[in-house]
Amino acid sequence: MTSGVLQAKGLCKSYKDKQVLKNLDITIEPGKIYGLIGRNGAGKTTLLGILTAQNTHDSGEVTYGGEPVWENPKALADLCFSRELQTTLFYGQNNLKVRHYLQAGATFYPRWDEDYARRLMKEFGLEEKKRVCQLSKGQLSMVTILIALASNAPVTILDEPVAGLDVVARERFYQLLLDDYARTNRTFIISTHIIEEAASVFERVLILDDGHIIENEETEELVDQFRYVSGAAEEVDRVCEGMTVVHQRTMGRRKTAAVRDTGGRRAADLEGAGDVDVSPLSLQNVFVALCGHEPVE
Amino acid sequence: MNRVHGSLNDQALIYLQIAQMLEDDILRGVYREEEQVPSTNELAREYNINPATAAKGINLLVAEGVLYKRRGIGMFVAPGATAAVKEKRRKALGEEYVLPLLREAKSLGLNKEELLAMVKEAIEHEGGEKA
Repeated sequence: MTSGVLQAKGLCKSYKDKQVLKNLDITIEPGKIYGLIGRNGAGKTTLLGILTAQNTHDSGEVTYGGEPVWENPKALADLCFSRELQTTLFYGQNNLKVRHYLQAGATFYPRWDEDYARRLMKEFGLEEKKRVCQLSKGQLSMVTILIALASNAPVTILDEPVAGLDVVARERFYQLLLDDYARTNRTFIISTHIIEEAASVFERVLILDDGHIIENEETEELVDQFRYVSGAAEEVDRVCEGMTVVHQRTMGRRKTAAVRDTGGRRAADLEGAGDVDVSPLSLQNVFVALCGHEPVE
Repeated sequence: MNRVHGSLNDQALIYLQIAQMLEDDILRGVYREEEQVPSTNELAREYNINPATAAKGINLLVAEGVLYKRRGIGMFVAPGATAAVKEKRRKALGEEYVLPLLREAKSLGLNKEELLAMVKEAIEHEGGEKA
């Protein structure tokens, strides 16, 4: 499947006096699975909404294949943003029967695959006559996943797709996603808070923090830039001198520092540099180290 | 949490784990020389990982001459792969096992003779068990 580059430059967005996105730049290359992670309220959903012209923004521009996405039917036909459905809403879309909600999907997305939608509906055990507001949280997640996959859109965006799902259903979702990706090689952007189990599915990871995309990296390459260095505080300080310490904790005289590659120096090479333990981080650890600061106001 | 990925863990880079698992299976004879190994997509599906990550693991083994590509068919175990993997593991033994052992011994204040005596004792113990 061919798709263009989805790009935003200098995005700003405020809600009343709170600025959520601050001059944000992002580039989404075709044919990759991206994971978008950020803390609660970081603006993930806002960003995804703006990228697909479902939300307005104050300044900056969003382009797809070089063309602005706003009021551009050609670009929007290629972009699917399957929003999280709210459990507490009893009007509007949530009053629709599942069947009608899916029909809306078929109308919106020109590449809609009805057979695929039917298969997924059966697999998820969704009853088409039920109203959206009667579904459980897990079933709501399944509906959003179904829309996203069946849309066949070259750029498909899922917001918190696994939030309401049990572990078996989550694992099944990752399988469906990888099967689909193997077949279509389309671009996926998936936001999630369940970082650890999704990390291996993401080719690239995007970290949204304080209104900026602070990382847009190949997942494993990002993770490998970091090491924990722990031991006696003075020894840790000595070993880590000149290196970027992104986070540190002390417990009595013991210190653990999360260290990142700096200049040409690899954090991994600190192993053996002194009487300290050097160990790798997981993506979740990296996220906490980078975003675990106090909320910035 | 790592159960989700079958036998993968969170502590090492996944592409390295994929390469290592394939090597282990070659050493065990699960895949014999000139036999086909799972494709990138099969590995991705089996371990719920991104195909690009699986491909990176496979490409590492191609670069090391352990696997080779047959155009349009897939990846195969190279002739001499078993010996090559053993040789590589032998070289890694020093860095991955002996060096950490030395560091641990040093932090415990063991001298060279004490450490060597322990290693010798362990070898004799192991040998004794086998006999």
